[in-house]
Amino acid sequence: MEVTLKIFRYNPEVDQKFHYETYTLEAEETDRVLDVLERIKGQKDGTLSFRRSCAHGVCGSDALRINGRNMLACKTLVRDVGEKITVEPILGLKVIKDLIVDMEPFFDNYKKILPYFINESPLPADGKERLQSAEARARFDETTKCILCACCTTSCPSFWASDDYLGPAALVTAHRFIFDDRDEAAAERMQIISETSGLARCHTAYNCTLACPREIPITQAIGELKMVSVTGKLD
Amino acid sequence: MGLSRNVSLSTALRYKGQGPFLTFILHRIGGLGMAIFIGIHILASFLSGDVGNAINAVYESWVFQLFIFFCVLFHAINGLRITIVDLWPKLIEHEREAIWLEWAVFIPVYAIAAFAIIRSALGG
Repeated sequence: MEVTLKIFRYNPEVDQKFHYETYTLEAEETDRVLDVLERIKGQKDGTLSFRRSCAHGVCGSDALRINGRNMLACKTLVRDVGEKITVEPILGLKVIKDLIVDMEPFFDNYKKILPYFINESPLPADGKERLQSAEARARFDETTKCILCACCTTSCPSFWASDDYLGPAALVTAHRFIFDDRDEAAAERMQIISETSGLARCHTAYNCTLACPREIPITQAIGELKMVSVTGKLD
Repeated sequence: MGLSRNVSLSTALRYKGQGPFLTFILHRIGGLGMAIFIGIHILASFLSGDVGNAINAVYESWVFQLFIFFCVLFHAINGLRITIVDLWPKLIEHEREAIWLEWAVFIPVYAIAAFAIIRSALGG
């Protein structure tokens, strides 16, 4: 089949403004959008810039706006988006070149919620693992799946309005540690996410959940954190 | 160097967020519509004479009544849905069904009210 890609282009060394360029090429309907982008870069226009790494939906580096919605290019098949495909950078982050955005504000927000395991208590008597029941592990299973692709955060209208907002990805990671019964910094994290740039800016638009390539129930996780902030109880 | 991070209103509105995003947008329009209505209502009460009467004529017109009833009803029903899922986050699993239910309540109630407003406007 013949596919036509309309791609957002911006070269800071040449362009004052962004523009779109159109490429037409042959593709299989089972090709991924990433395959088509690589073919354009390899065969038609070597100046096209985009991020990719693992190409298997694990590293999260090829988050793009494809036909108006955030997705990973490596997990999106041509047959799922049609013969006319518009590819643009994700919203709310500064465009560095073509489809590449500055991820620093996203990671700055992520770091604010202390995204690492905190437990200052002595190790158990055997000096080995801090054991956890299967039920306790299941409590935060969904939110361990985040790959930090930023599909969720950059689909959120509150983040578009202000990058001070921590964003769904940071809140998902906060959920992952707050509901981990081995972690001891839940209160500290709750204080961070309960500030004005945190939970209060989630207006349940639900774009994050629909955009997540790992199908994490993000809005539900944020809802659970909102309840903790109100009740002060983890269950 | 790079392009600004600012997301324009038109770009934001073109994001394809499906049903929940549409309700998010309509909720904001509803809130803004009510604020405008209350604002011009207060303004009209301070301004007497032709200017006050002209403003009264705007919000008493049947077109404005259709608009403001849409704003109030949609904002109320959508606000109720958001309040329920905020109180019981587990229900967010059923977001799609909740939005269908919201439209199922909104459309007939609004249709009845719109029928009454238009019939009254036509002198029926």
